[in-house]
Amino acid sequence: MARLALDDVTKEYRDGEMSVVAVEDVSLDVADGEFLVLVGPSGCGKSTTLRMIAGLETITDGEITLDDRSINDVPAQERDIAMVFQSYALYPHKTVRGNMSFGLEESTELSDSDIAETVEETAGMMGIEDLLNRKPGELSGGQQQRVALGRAIVRDPDLFLMDEPLSNLDAKLRAEMRTELQHLQEQLGVTSVYVTHDQTEAMTMGDQIAVLNEGTLQQTGTPLECYHQPNNLFVAGFIGEPSMNFFDGSLEENALVTESLAYSLSPDLRRDIEAGTDLVLGIRPEDVRIDEPRTDGQRFAAEVIVVEPMGNENVIHLRFDDAMAGDEFIVTTEGVPTVSAGDRVDVEFSEAVVHLFDGDSGVAIKNRTLSFSGTPDEVIP
Amino acid sequence: MSQSTPDTNIDVASVVEDVNLRRIGHYTLIIFFLGFFLLPLVTGIMTALKTNEAIARTVPFMPPLGGGFTLANLEYAFSQLSHAFINSLLMAIPATIINVLLASMAAFGLTMVKWRGQLVILILFLIGIFVPYQAVLVPLARFWNNTFPLADMLSPLFAGIPLLQSYHADLVPLIITHVAYGIPICMILFRSYYQSLPNSLVEAAKIDGASITKIYRRIILPISKPMFGVVFIYQFTQIYNEFLFSFTLVSSASSPEAPVTLIIPAIGTSTSGIDFGIRMSAAFLAALPTIILYVAFAEQFAKGLETESG
Amino acid sequence: MGSIQLDHLTKRFGETVAVEDVTLDIADSEFLVLVGPSGCGKSTTLRMLAGLETPTAGDLYIAGEHMNYRVPQNRDIAMVFQDYALYPHMTIHENVRFGLEEEAGYTDSEMDERVEEVAETLGIDDLLDRKPGELSGGQQQRVALGRAIVRDPEVFLMDEPLANLDAKLRAKMRTELQRLQADLDVTTVYVTHNQTEAMTMGDRIAVLNDGQLQQVGEPLELYHEPANQFVAGFIGEPMMNFLHGNRADAGFVGEHIEYPFDERLERAVDGVDDLVLGVRPEAVDVRRADESSAPNLGPHEFEMTVSVTETHGDQNILSLTHAAESVDHDVLRAVTDGMHIVKPGEPVTVAIDPETIHVFDGKTGKTICNRRIETARELTI
Repeated sequence: MARLALDDVTKEYRDGEMSVVAVEDVSLDVADGEFLVLVGPSGCGKSTTLRMIAGLETITDGEITLDDRSINDVPAQERDIAMVFQSYALYPHKTVRGNMSFGLEESTELSDSDIAETVEETAGMMGIEDLLNRKPGELSGGQQQRVALGRAIVRDPDLFLMDEPLSNLDAKLRAEMRTELQHLQEQLGVTSVYVTHDQTEAMTMGDQIAVLNEGTLQQTGTPLECYHQPNNLFVAGFIGEPSMNFFDGSLEENALVTESLAYSLSPDLRRDIEAGTDLVLGIRPEDVRIDEPRTDGQRFAAEVIVVEPMGNENVIHLRFDDAMAGDEFIVTTEGVPTVSAGDRVDVEFSEAVVHLFDGDSGVAIKNRTLSFSGTPDEVIP
Repeated sequence: MSQSTPDTNIDVASVVEDVNLRRIGHYTLIIFFLGFFLLPLVTGIMTALKTNEAIARTVPFMPPLGGGFTLANLEYAFSQLSHAFINSLLMAIPATIINVLLASMAAFGLTMVKWRGQLVILILFLIGIFVPYQAVLVPLARFWNNTFPLADMLSPLFAGIPLLQSYHADLVPLIITHVAYGIPICMILFRSYYQSLPNSLVEAAKIDGASITKIYRRIILPISKPMFGVVFIYQFTQIYNEFLFSFTLVSSASSPEAPVTLIIPAIGTSTSGIDFGIRMSAAFLAALPTIILYVAFAEQFAKGLETESG
Repeated sequence: MGSIQLDHLTKRFGETVAVEDVTLDIADSEFLVLVGPSGCGKSTTLRMLAGLETPTAGDLYIAGEHMNYRVPQNRDIAMVFQDYALYPHMTIHENVRFGLEEEAGYTDSEMDERVEEVAETLGIDDLLDRKPGELSGGQQQRVALGRAIVRDPEVFLMDEPLANLDAKLRAKMRTELQRLQADLDVTTVYVTHNQTEAMTMGDRIAVLNDGQLQQVGEPLELYHEPANQFVAGFIGEPMMNFLHGNRADAGFVGEHIEYPFDERLERAVDGVDDLVLGVRPEAVDVRRADESSAPNLGPHEFEMTVSVTETHGDQNILSLTHAAESVDHDVLRAVTDGMHIVKPGEPVTVAIDPETIHVFDGKTGKTICNRRIETARELTI
C-alpha cells in the first residue's frame, strides 16, 4: 500500500547538441489505493513518465516519492513495483506457473510451497488455473494478458504500473477486460498507474485521470471533472468521443462572431472578456438539440451532411451555410434517426451547455453548468 | 516506445560507493582476458619491427628500443608479397561479389517466394555447407586439370586483355570453386535476414503488379544493404585467407599467379632457420586488406548484425 | 464493373478450416465490411480476394472474371495492409509511383503528375521527398492509401488499416476513409474486428465467426434484426445482455429473473424450451429505488443493485447485480444519460419493456424473434 507523488519531474534526452524534452515539470499525487490513468496522444510523454516511476528511465530533474521516500536513485529491482507491458513481455520459455513464480523467487524469501500456493490463488482469481502448465506461445491474446496481470498481482507490490495493456486486444475483449480490471483493482486495493491513449479507458477506469500533451500536464481530476470542466482546449477536445465541437470567433459587442454564426453571450458569460478577444465556442455533440420545439437557446440553420446510425445512437454531421466545405460539426442523438442527409434543420446551442475558451491561450473561460440526477456526490467534488 | 538511457550524470560519490570485491573481481577478469587476446597481436607487431638480434635478446612483447628497431623486415616482406597481393585480390574480390549476389538471389527465391520442391533445394544447400574441403580436393584437381581445363582455354584470352597476364587465367577455376563453395553458407545468412522482413512488403509489391524479378531488384536488393556488408566482409575474409583450394589448384608457391596464402608459409625460411621478423611482417602485411575492409565497413557490419538479432 | 462474387468459398490449412463455404455478392462501388473476432476467417477471405492465398474449394469472381488462380499482379486490385507495408528504402513519391510502373498507358511524366494529384487529395504532397521511416503513423497510413488509390483499381482491399492508430486519429480517419471511398466510387472490401468501424463505415456488413458467414446486411438490420445470438452479441457496444433460462408457464425463468411474456413473445416462442433472452443495454430502464416502490413492482420490473458505474461523460454504463442474492457476477448492463449517475451499491428499479426483447434458441443460437421496432424498415436508409 503506498502513496505515490511526482514532484516537478522532468525528462530530457540529450544527444550532443540536440535535446528533446519528453516530460516537463509533471507533478502528480496518487493516494493509497487509487487508480490513476495517464492519458494523452502518442508522444505526449505518458510512457516515459511511467518508465521513470518504474525505474526503467533515469530522472533528469524533480523527485518521485513512494510513501514519502524518494526513489529517484533506487534501482528498478528494489522498488517493489509490478508492471504490465503492452506486449505482456511473458518469458516464452517458461510455463505460466513459471512466469508467475519468477518474481516471487527473485525478490522475496518465500518458500517454494508458499510461492506455489500464492500462484494458485492468483491464478484462480484471474481465471487461468487450467493454463498453469502451458507456455505463453500456446495461449490466446486475452489469456496472455491475464497471465501478465497475474504475474504482477502475485507479487503483491506497493504499486501497479500498466503500459497500455489492453491495446493489443480485440475491441470486444478490450471492453470486457476493462470491466474486469476495474473489479480487480477495487478488490485488491493496490495503488495503480495506468497509461493509455484511449480516452474511453481513461474515463471508465480511473479514479483520477491526468491528461498530458507534449510532455506537459494539462489537467488532473476525476474523469467527469475533466469531461465537464476542462481546463483548456486540449483537454476539452481530447476527452470525449466524438470530440467536442469547436467554433473559432471573436467577441464583438454582445456576441461571439464566427464565420457562420453570431452567438449572443449573456452579460454573465462575457463579463470579464475584452471586446475583440479571440474566443472559441465549444459544445459537446450530445448537448446540441436538433429541431426541438421549445426555444430556450439560440437556434441556427444547418444542413445535414451525413447520418451515421450506430444502432443505439446516431452520429450526425452537419454544416452551417456559410461554413467552408469540410468545416463540419457533429451531433449525437438517440434512438431512431429523425433526419437524413440533405435535410435542413435548426440546431440549438443552449447557453447552459456551452463552453468558452480563450482563442490564443486555449484556457477555459467558462464551462457548462451541471445538473446531475441520481447520486453523483463525490463524482464531481 | 523510448529506449533506456544510461546515467549521464555520474557523480564521484556514486562510483566510489560501488567499489567492492565483486567489481574488483570483474575488472581483473576483464583485464586478464584483454591481455590474453591482445598479447599475440602486440607480440607480432613488435617482432616485425625488430632486428634479428633484438628478437633473440628481448622479451617478445616489449617494443624495440633504439638499435633494435628496423623497417627492413617489412620492406623485404612487401617486396616478396606485392605480386601475390594482386593475385589474391584479383581472385578474392570477384569471387566474393559473385558469391554474395548469387547467395542473396538464392535466399530470396527460397525464402520469400513459394514454389514446389523448395524444400528439396533448401536441403541441398544445407548439405552443401557440411561437405568438408578436404573431401573434394582430389576430384577438384582432376576436374580443373583434366576434365575441364578452363585455365588453359582462357590463357590466350587473358593474354590479350590489358593489365592482365595469361597466367592470371589460372585464377578463374579458383574463383569458381570459391563461389560454389561459399554460396550455401552465405545463402543461410541472407535467409535468416529475409525471414525477419515482413512478408507484407513482398505481398504489397505483388499487388502493385511487380514480377518476382522486379520485386528482388527494386525492393529486396536495396533493403539488403546492411546484410550485404556483413556477408561481404565475412566471405571476403574466408576466401582471401583460404589455403587449401589455392594449394590444390595453383601449381606451386613460385608460380606467378600464386596468391598470398601460398607464399606466406615459405617466407623467411632459409638454411639458417626461420627469420621471425620477416615472418611476422609478412603476416601483418597479408592481413592488411581484410583489416582495411573491416574498418571501412565496420558500421555496416554492426548494423547488419544488429538487424539479425533485433 | 467492379462487382465481386464469392461462391461457396472455402480455405483449409491442413486440418484447420479457416473459411468455410462463404457465399457473398458484393455490388459495384459498395463498401462492404468483413467483421468478426480474431481467427474468424475475415483476413483469409480478403487474402483470397487479393490472390495471396488460393481457395481450397469454391469460386471467386471479380468484375465477372474467374479469379481463383490468377496471380495478384494481374487482378487489378489494390490493398492497404495493417502495417502499411511501405517500401522503406524509397521516398514517398517512389512508393506511390511504384504501382503505376506496371500499368499500361502512362508515360513517366504522366505517372509523376498522377502521384502529385493523389498526394494532394490526401494532404501528403509536402512529404513526397521523405522516407517512410521519417513519418508518423497517421502519415504512413495516408501514404499506404495513396499507393492504393493511384492505380485506380477495380477493387480496394483493406486489412484493418486503422488498427495501429491512436484512438482519436482512428476516429478521424474513419470519416475520411468513408468520404474518400464515396468520392472515388470504388468497390471496397474492408476487414476489421472493431464493430464501431463496421457500423459507421459499411454500406453492408458481413459478420464471420469460425470461418462461417453469420449474416450479411445493412448495419441497422444487423443491429435490430440479428440472425443469431452471435451477431446480436457481436454488433453493438456495449454488448447486448443475454439471460439464459427456460420456458415456463408465464414466460421465462432464468437464473435470477422471471420474465412474463406478452402476446408477441408467447406466439414466437411456441414449443422451444431452452431459451436466451436478449435486451440491449440502452433499452434497460433504470430508476433509483425508493422504499415505496418495492411492493409496486410491475411484471417487467426488478430490484437490482449497481455494482460498477462506467462514466463515459455523455453516457454511463451501469453493471447491475441482483439485489436479493449475493451474486458474484453482473446480471445486466444498462445505459443511462450522462447527467444521470447512480453510484455502485445503490439499489435501483430496473424495467425491461417486452417490445425490446429478442429471443434466441438456447441450443442453436438462432433468432426466434427480434425486438419490435415499427420503423425498422425506415431505418435501413
